[in-house]
Amino acid sequence: MRLLGITLPLLAVLMLLNGCAEKEKFIVYGSPQNEGEVEALIKEEDFVDRTTVIQYDDSMLVAVQIKPWDKWKKAKLEKKLQKKFDKKYPNKDVFVSADYKIFYEANKIKKDQIEDNKLSDKITELIKLAKEET
Amino acid sequence: MVIVFQSKPSLLAGGVVAGPLENRSVFSQYFDAVYDDERWQMKTNEQGHRKMIEEACEFAMKKMNIQNGDVEYLMGGDLVNQMTPTNFAARDLAIPFIGLFSACATSVSSVIIACLLTELGAANFSLAGASSQHNSIERQFRYPINYGAQKPQTAQWTVTAAGYALIGKHREEYPSIEAATIGKSIDYGMDDPFHMGAAMAPAAFQTIQAHLEQRNQKIYHYDLILTGDLGQLGLKLLKGMFVENGVKNEELTFLRDAGAEFYGQDEAFQSGASGAGCSAAVFFSYVLQQMRAGSYKRVLLVATGALLSPLSYQQGETIPCTAHAIEITMK
Amino acid sequence: MEKEQYQQLEQNVTPKPPYLKNVAKAFFVGGFICAIGQAVSLFYMIFFNFTEATAGNPTVATMVFFAMILTGLGLYKRIGQFAGAGSAVPVTGFGNAVISAAIEHRSEGVVLGVGGNLFKLAGSVVLFGVVSAFFVALIKYILVTIGVVSW
Repeated sequence: MRLLGITLPLLAVLMLLNGCAEKEKFIVYGSPQNEGEVEALIKEEDFVDRTTVIQYDDSMLVAVQIKPWDKWKKAKLEKKLQKKFDKKYPNKDVFVSADYKIFYEANKIKKDQIEDNKLSDKITELIKLAKEET
Repeated sequence: MVIVFQSKPSLLAGGVVAGPLENRSVFSQYFDAVYDDERWQMKTNEQGHRKMIEEACEFAMKKMNIQNGDVEYLMGGDLVNQMTPTNFAARDLAIPFIGLFSACATSVSSVIIACLLTELGAANFSLAGASSQHNSIERQFRYPINYGAQKPQTAQWTVTAAGYALIGKHREEYPSIEAATIGKSIDYGMDDPFHMGAAMAPAAFQTIQAHLEQRNQKIYHYDLILTGDLGQLGLKLLKGMFVENGVKNEELTFLRDAGAEFYGQDEAFQSGASGAGCSAAVFFSYVLQQMRAGSYKRVLLVATGALLSPLSYQQGETIPCTAHAIEITMK
Repeated sequence: MEKEQYQQLEQNVTPKPPYLKNVAKAFFVGGFICAIGQAVSLFYMIFFNFTEATAGNPTVATMVFFAMILTGLGLYKRIGQFAGAGSAVPVTGFGNAVISAAIEHRSEGVVLGVGGNLFKLAGSVVLFGVVSAFFVALIKYILVTIGVVSW
């Protein structure tokens, strides 16, 4: 047990150090249209840490990760972004999610370079998943 | 309060068995048996507890080469509800039996009754003692064994041990009981079941004080005054009370506590050992053997008991405590 | 010696509980348990179709499962002695309370022993958890209705 007392704080420090590694903050996959515009839109909000946007035809999936302390208001901020995007792109089907799962899957789509024909299905699936409750 | 035994009944033999954890006890070399299985290969803790009592009694009888049938009375108790382990052990031993409950002071109160029966001429041999089994007592008084509650530094560890003594008519070559003191139930307003030493120390103090006064003795008349299970803190408190009463520091070295010494300085056991089996195991192994070897000539054994139940402290009652003492001498 | 005098002596002799040390231990062990919980949660999100919102249930079940194994091996009580609230407050502590009672009362049979005593310790956690949740929800509902806060 005494050993545990020494190793635990050490572990905590190590974890903190690991978290500092720099990563790409903004990623877009799919059609590159409006890329700069969307990035600017996101940059306006300083609670957003990292963003991955998947674009396909008329639909757009915006997966964001919110900064730690702002996570308390996650649901509210998510809604705020959704409204903002709906207003900016009234013709597009935009879906904003701050959920880690959606963010992870969005990054995976980018990484695996999923082709256009499957992309639509994948996005519908993710939206359905995000709306699931418990 | 003080009873003087004219016939000086003798403690002919002691039988002590203990559980696996008690291997770590500083007294373990004096025990008759230390088992690897805390349940004695039985199905439940309570059955193991019963088995332990039976074995302790058998060890004591074997040492004097006698059988169950030769023993007239069995006096004993434990801390489980309605004392079923001792009651059931009495069923299997088939010796006339009275169950006694003075919590952890049963180890001495049973000896006092057995001595009275011997003095009366009613018994040639009688068995007296007490026992406790950690698992079955903890569930009784506190939490389930595997519940991860933090015990404070003042807590004590209930030992798994049974100690029974065979008492008979006076014989020169055995330690004999000269006098005994039956203690009052003392309540100094302590109400923490995790700080029993503090609750019991005043009872021990009053009993020792009463015994010494009425016997016209001082602490230094004894080679050893051994309390049952006050623990390290309780012993400190007892010494503190004697100091307040004008007893000199060098006399305090005669005061020792079985519970405080039982597990040595092992911090895992917090303030030390407790339980009816703690005082019984140490009194009827270590002390008897040391007396027979001649290391001690006059000893006062003071078993202390906290007379609480889980119900009483949940209802906010304070903890009354008692202490009984026997004075043992060796020629 | 008088009662008051003795209580004075008792206060002097009894060591003060090392609050600061206990708090630090509880903080780190509790944090460590929660870090494991977070890892389990991430595991369910990455390898299964759970979102942050839905990963909670399987995570809690897994943590209780871990607590069950540690309790059965007799290790949880040691962690508890070291960490105090650090291991009692997370859901593993709740699991430990339920499972230790189940192990303890197995000797009295499945229905009256295990069934009757399973929530001996955890029962009040469940009861007061539900009651306090009700009142918190009630207060929030009133505040939302009169327009002080929004959901």
